[in-house]
Amino acid sequence: MPNQHHLLNQIKNGDAHALSELYDNYSGALYGVILRMCKNEAVAQDLLQETFVKIWQKANSFDPEKGKFYTWAYRIARNLTLNELRNASSLIQTEDLSVYKEKAEAEELSIDKLKLNGTIQKLESHHQKAIDLVYFQGLTHREAHEEMNVPLGTFKSYIQQALKKLRESYQLALFLGWLLIEQML
Amino acid sequence: MMDKKAIIESGMLERYLLGELSISESQQLEAVLQTDAELRSLFQEMESDFEKMAQENAITPPSHIKDQLMSEIVRDTSPVISLDERNRATKQYLAIAATFALLFGVATIMLYNQMNTMQENIEVVEAQNSELKNELELVIDNYDEVVTWYQTINDPNAIQLILNGNDKSPNAKAISYVNHVDKTVVLNAKELPPLDAEHDYQLWADVAGEMIDMGVIPKGSEMAAMQYIDNAESFNITIEPSGGNDHPTVEQLISNVYLE
Repeated sequence: MPNQHHLLNQIKNGDAHALSELYDNYSGALYGVILRMCKNEAVAQDLLQETFVKIWQKANSFDPEKGKFYTWAYRIARNLTLNELRNASSLIQTEDLSVYKEKAEAEELSIDKLKLNGTIQKLESHHQKAIDLVYFQGLTHREAHEEMNVPLGTFKSYIQQALKKLRESYQLALFLGWLLIEQML
Repeated sequence: MMDKKAIIESGMLERYLLGELSISESQQLEAVLQTDAELRSLFQEMESDFEKMAQENAITPPSHIKDQLMSEIVRDTSPVISLDERNRATKQYLAIAATFALLFGVATIMLYNQMNTMQENIEVVEAQNSELKNELELVIDNYDEVVTWYQTINDPNAIQLILNGNDKSPNAKAISYVNHVDKTVVLNAKELPPLDAEHDYQLWADVAGEMIDMGVIPKGSEMAAMQYIDNAESFNITIEPSGGNDHPTVEQLISNVYLE
């Protein structure tokens, strides 16, 4: 998307409006990832803000040749969140009460809110689970296959099959959309 | 060079996308992606799919997060410069304040000096004023005197008699005004040559051969009222010891004039 590259170039030049536009386009997707990963709204909001601050600060290191903006931003959000969770769990071991409180709040977080939506719902449950673990829970393949109690090779194939289904589904949607537009014209 | 098939089957692209790869693994894969268009397009599709899925699962964050972010960005934009600017601004404010303080200080000193000068001026003016007042009083006195003399000599009954100096004092000249009605004599002795401190001019009236004192002529005065003597035949001026004499020193007669 040349538009994002343009926005990122503007961010590199210190244009806050460009960051505002990127935020409008991507904050929801990133917040969805962060919140599902940490399951705490207050923490997730801080992390979302931190993610965009990092995007702002590290815009120079983004290379459009290597991938899309969203992929880059996702990695930033994921790393920040995983670091936060690691720090929080070490705090729990030192019996920090505020973290207990946050954990308690997290339990109140509506399960509906964190439920996965859209095309992924059409996937078989083990495919859904595999994608959820690596993408929305931030587990590595190694961790996730243990979590699902399947061999690593099997887990990898789950992911690939799930992605294939997603791809087909999106292409169908694209085709239907195109068909709809054709009909309207 | 990594094998394309192995890359695809190993799930390396997915793990690269998710950020699971180590730095060296990432660099190796990136090198392959740069040269292999098919692999690249496969990765790009994967990126698109994950992005679409993420957008489908988007959760709108509270709006205040964006406000916080934008204000933090503004703060973050160029902290060094902003600090500098703040410093510079503070310095500028201080400089302006100092300038004002200095101006006020200078102005105060100037005003204080001016006030002092004005007070001095007022004192000078007051002194001059009282001096002028005194002078005016003198002038008025003089005027009154002059008016009196003028009235005296301008009186229709006043007779003017001129006393010219004789051989002893040829430059001497005095003018007398005799008023027989008012019985007054006024003498203008201005043209009499000045005398030393031990001597005075004295005016005498000759009445039937006898010299009668009409008074010592005051030194330095223009007009002097003298004693009126009835039946005077002539007026005579002699030089006498200071303070006047009971009898005239005839040898020192310098001028005389006959009445009638």
